[in-house]
Amino acid sequence: MTDQMVVGAAPAAPTGPADDREADARRTARFRRWRRNALLALGWVAIYLVWEFGSWWFGSRLLPRPHEVFASAVEIVESGNFVTDFSASVLKTFAGFGVAAAVGAPIGYLMGRYNYWRAFFHDGVTIAGTIPAIVYAVMSLIVFGLSNFGPILAVALVSAPYVALNVAEGIRGVDRQLITMSEAFGRTPAQIRRQVLIPTIVPFVFAAIRMCFAVAWKVEALTEVFGGRNGVGFQIRTEYQLYDISAVLAWTVLFIAFMLVIERLVLAKAEARLLSWRPEERGAAL
Amino acid sequence: MAVLTVQNLSKTFNLGTARESRVLDDISFEVKGQTFVSIVGPSGCGKSTLLNIISGVEEHTSGDISLTSDAGGPARMGYVFQDPRLLPWRSVMQNMMYVQDDQSPATVSRAKEYLDMVGLAKNADFFPGQLSGGMQQRVGIARAFAVEPDLLLMDEPFSHLDAITARGLREQLQDIWAQSKKTVVFVTHDVVEAVELSDRIIVLQPGGLIYEDITIDLPRPRRQTDKNVATLQAEVLARLEKLKAMSVAEPVA
Repeated sequence: MTDQMVVGAAPAAPTGPADDREADARRTARFRRWRRNALLALGWVAIYLVWEFGSWWFGSRLLPRPHEVFASAVEIVESGNFVTDFSASVLKTFAGFGVAAAVGAPIGYLMGRYNYWRAFFHDGVTIAGTIPAIVYAVMSLIVFGLSNFGPILAVALVSAPYVALNVAEGIRGVDRQLITMSEAFGRTPAQIRRQVLIPTIVPFVFAAIRMCFAVAWKVEALTEVFGGRNGVGFQIRTEYQLYDISAVLAWTVLFIAFMLVIERLVLAKAEARLLSWRPEERGAAL
Repeated sequence: MAVLTVQNLSKTFNLGTARESRVLDDISFEVKGQTFVSIVGPSGCGKSTLLNIISGVEEHTSGDISLTSDAGGPARMGYVFQDPRLLPWRSVMQNMMYVQDDQSPATVSRAKEYLDMVGLAKNADFFPGQLSGGMQQRVGIARAFAVEPDLLLMDEPFSHLDAITARGLREQLQDIWAQSKKTVVFVTHDVVEAVELSDRIIVLQPGGLIYEDITIDLPRPRRQTDKNVATLQAEVLARLEKLKAMSVAEPVA
């Protein structure tokens, strides 16, 4: 597809054997797609079977059967708790991300741009990135007690090092030649920042966000389990105290589903759109 | 009329511990009006450095450079590099407009005109990654002409292209130049190319001195296949034979 775009001309009229080859290639591609989708479905069936088997083995009081959990999930959605608690969790996660970006991006910029600042920040950022998430969760709760700020701080602390390191990597990868070109044409530093530096960093920032996202959700929920007053983690703890295991699992399943939707539909699509200039992304975006 | 004056220009690079490398040594010349000047010389004789100093990307050590504009006011420069140097995340048209000071409809249509002159009007919405190397370089050329520069600087713009593409682009460049009549300073190591394109050839020798200043008086449009172009190319090459020996005998510091 890309090759045709490069030439910018319509493909030549197909001749006999070439036509056959093309049809063959299409058939092979179709078969591969079919096989992949079939295995994907099979994977889900396997998960279901393992779960059913587990429920039978442990008894459904310990591990409720899939349909019981499903019914419980429907109940949660219908009760309206789903919307309030999920929006609470989502808002806290995004607030944490916001803080991480506000702190991490400038640090990353300095680290990528100036070697002195790199020396200053590098080890600190690396250490911050290695500290286990649970430590951040516990520390945030000690600092803020039972409030919304605990989970926000935990998410921010977990995410900021990733953001800083990725932005730094992005800045270091900036094409010097594009900067000289801009200077030769008399572009201002602000224009160079907007047209050259920022677009260079965008892919790195996206990588950071997607990487953080997987961790941040878990940290956020974990912090709520320990000391939240609302949100998914708080609900999981409540149900646990009531020993309603199917509700605990229902919240977990809803949580996973929601996370996948955001990851696959929102983040992946936004990334493909923003990076549509890259040949490898173009297929996905257009 | 645009006038570029270079007076007693010198440039030395500091190599540390009191060692210096002299790249340009007391060079003076003047380029006036609608002239196509080539700067020719072996690798390392300071051609690209000279161009970078004229464009203001590099500082010079001593001497003066001045450029007066066609219309009065600050002089404008356009630059064509060895590689296209397009922003990969902007479309061809956005790349054309990135280097423009004003984004008025008049400027947009002027950019389109130049894009049309290099035969890429229908590719305006493409990303650079969707174009071949030769097409990208044509965008680079159109971009530089579209700023309507008083002085257009070109740094070996065809050296990274295959021979056939380069030949086509040289012809295209002559046509665009004939229409726009800009002052062009064109750096190349290829004497043959210089004879085909230029009104005047300034030959630099290793150590950054002007070896010879040759006027090329041939009718335009010129084509590589023209007999008198070929004759003059042979003649100029013969005159520069001595330079070859010199560049072998005196390696650049």
